[in-house]
Amino acid sequence: MHASLRRIYWWLIAPAVLLMLVFYIYPLVQVLWISVTDPVPGLGNYMELIERPLIHRIWMTTLRVCVITTAVTVIAGYAVAYAMCHVGDRHRTWMMFCVLLTFWLSVLIRAFAWVMLLRTEGIVNSGLQELGLIDEPLRLVRNEFGVIVGMVHFMLPLAVLPIYSNMTGIDTRLISAARGLGASPIGAFTNIYLPLSKPGLIAATILVFVFSLGFFITPALLGGGKVVMISEYIQVSFEETLRWGQATMLSSTLLFSVLLSLALVARFVDLKKVFGAR
Amino acid sequence: MSLTKTLYEKDLYPEIEDAGDSDFARDCVEIASERLAKGQIDRRTFLTAMTLLGALPAGVALGSKTAGAAAKELVVVNWGGPAVEAYAKAFGDPFEKSAGVKVVIDGTGPLGSKIKAMVDAKAVTWDVCDTGTGTTLVLQKQGVLQKIDYSIVDKKKMQDIFAYEYGCANYMFSFILAYNKTKVPSAPTGWKDFWDLAKFPGNRTLRKQPNGMLEACMMAAGKSPKSVYPIDIDLAVGKLKEIKANVIAWGSGSQSQELFRTGEVAMGNIWHTRANLLNQETKGDVTWTWQDGIVTAGMWNVPLANPAGTETAMKFIASSQDPEQQLVLFDAMGNGPANPAAAAKVPADKKYIDPGQPENLALQVLQNGPWYEEDSGVRNLTNDELSREKWLDALSS
Repeated sequence: MHASLRRIYWWLIAPAVLLMLVFYIYPLVQVLWISVTDPVPGLGNYMELIERPLIHRIWMTTLRVCVITTAVTVIAGYAVAYAMCHVGDRHRTWMMFCVLLTFWLSVLIRAFAWVMLLRTEGIVNSGLQELGLIDEPLRLVRNEFGVIVGMVHFMLPLAVLPIYSNMTGIDTRLISAARGLGASPIGAFTNIYLPLSKPGLIAATILVFVFSLGFFITPALLGGGKVVMISEYIQVSFEETLRWGQATMLSSTLLFSVLLSLALVARFVDLKKVFGAR
Repeated sequence: MSLTKTLYEKDLYPEIEDAGDSDFARDCVEIASERLAKGQIDRRTFLTAMTLLGALPAGVALGSKTAGAAAKELVVVNWGGPAVEAYAKAFGDPFEKSAGVKVVIDGTGPLGSKIKAMVDAKAVTWDVCDTGTGTTLVLQKQGVLQKIDYSIVDKKKMQDIFAYEYGCANYMFSFILAYNKTKVPSAPTGWKDFWDLAKFPGNRTLRKQPNGMLEACMMAAGKSPKSVYPIDIDLAVGKLKEIKANVIAWGSGSQSQELFRTGEVAMGNIWHTRANLLNQETKGDVTWTWQDGIVTAGMWNVPLANPAGTETAMKFIASSQDPEQQLVLFDAMGNGPANPAAAAKVPADKKYIDPGQPENLALQVLQNGPWYEEDSGVRNLTNDELSREKWLDALSS
C-alpha cells in the first residue's frame, strides 16, 4: 500500500482509537493499577485468590452456574433454531417474535416473573399439589436451581440467534444427498448437519458463557442471597466494605478469564469466521 | 463484555445496586415515595421537594470554599425524594434561622464509596452525610471522616452507645422479629422461637449483612439480651447455618417486605418501619414484637476537609438534636427520634411504632458499635469486617 494512503487511513481511524483509549483503555488500566496498589503496593490482592476459601467458593459457584447455564442454553437454543429453520414462514415469524420479545423484556421483570411462578405458593407448586404429584412444595427458587432457570431464560435468545443465522446458510440438499446415498436420518444429522452447524454452536457457547460470567441481577434476585457470584461480590467489595483493591482484583480476574476462555477457543476454531468477520 | 453488562444493569436498576448499610436511610425515602403515590402526602409537598432538587447543582457548585472562611452554605446529603423536603423542614430551616447559614439538602445519596472517592480526589463538596453505623465504621477505618466534636454536639442528647468517635446518632430504628400470624401456630416471643423449625415451620428471612443479625443469633444461642456482647462470631454464624436451608436473605428493605407479601416467609428479622407497612397493608396479619429487637441508629458523618468547615458542620448536627426537629422527621418519614427527650412528645397513637419509647427500649438490645470496631485478631480485620466475610461465606456455602 502507498505510504501516504496508509497515513490517511490511520487518520481516519484516529477518532475511534482516541475514544477507545480515553473511555475504555484508560479506565481499565486504572482498575488494574488499583488492584496492585490498594491498600499496599504488591500482589497481595491476587494472593487472596489462592488463600481465601470464600473467594474460592464464589469462583466455584460462578463457574458451576455458568457451565450448567451454557450447556442447557446451547442445547435448548439449538433445538429452537433447528425448529425455526424447518417450519413454515408464518410459524417462523411467530417463533422469531417470541424469541426477540424475551430478549427485549427487562431482566428485572423476568426475574420477578420467575419468582411468582416458582415460589412455594406459586402456580407451579400449587398446580403440582392439586394434581397430587407432590405433598410438600418443591424449592424451585431462591436457590441455585432458580438462578439457573432465570439465567437460561435470559440467555436463550443469545444462543438461538447465532445458531439460527448459521443454520440458514446450510444447504439442506446435502442432507437429501446423504439420505439418497443410504445414510440413516440420525447418521445424516450427526455426520452432515451437525458439523456444518458447528460455527453457530461455538459462537453461541462463547457468547452465553462470557455473558454468564459477569451476571449480576438474576443471581442476586433468584438466589435468595445464597448464590453469590463474582459480580455480586465485586459490588460488595466496592460499595459496602470499600475494599477497592480486592474489588479491582476480582474485576481484573474476571476480565482475564474471559480473555483466557476466548484464547482457548481460538486455538481450535477461527474466531473471526465464527463471528462473521471473514 | 461482561463488565459492561454489569454496569448496564446496575445503572438501570439503582435500587438493586446498593445493598449497603445506609440502606435504611434510603429505605425511608422509598417508603415516603410510596406514601406520596398513594396520596398520603400532598402533591404540593412533593413539588416543593422537586424544586429543591432542581436548585441543587448550583448549590453544589458553590459548595467548594476554603475551610476557615465563614461558611454561608452547608450541604447536607441524604437519600433524595421526599427526604429532601423532610430534612429541609426538620433540620434545614431551623438551622438557617438560628445560624444564618443556608442549608442545601442534596438527595444524591451518600454512598460510602462516593464519600471515599471525594476525599481521595480532594474534591469534597459535602458537609454532613446521612449514613448508617456500618458505613461509619467502614469509612472511619478508611480514614476519610472527621471526629465528631463532642464539645459542640451534646452526647447526652442521644443514647450514649450511638455516640461514635466518627459519627453520631441522627435517628433510631430497630431490627425486630416480624411474623405472619396466619403462618405461625402461636405468636413467637423471641429469637429462640425464630430458630425452632419444629414448632414454627416455614421459611424465614434474614439480612444479607450480619449487622443486626449476629445479635439475634446470639440470643437464639441462649444469651440474654444483656450479655449479647461481645459477640462470638463463630457461634453466631453457626446458628445461621442451623436454619440456613429455610433462610431467604433480604438485601433492600423493599425486598424484605416483598418476601412477606408473596407468602415466601413466615417470619423475618427486618426493619420496624417495613414491619409497620406490612402490618397496615395486611390489616394486621403481619405484625412484630419489640421483644429482643436490636436498636441501631442512622448516623451523621462529616467528610474530611468539608467545604463549610468543621465548626459549621458540628453546629448543624448539634442543632438537629432538638427534640422538636426530630419529631418533624419522625412524622414525615417514621425515623425514631435519637434524642431520648423526644420520646415523651411522641403522640400516644404513634408510640407503638417508635423504637425509642421507654417501654419498647426496655425489651430491646442497643447495638454496640464499639464491638464492631474492635480488632478481631484475624488478618487485621475488625469484627465488622470479619463477620461480614463469615456471614456471606455461611450464606453462600
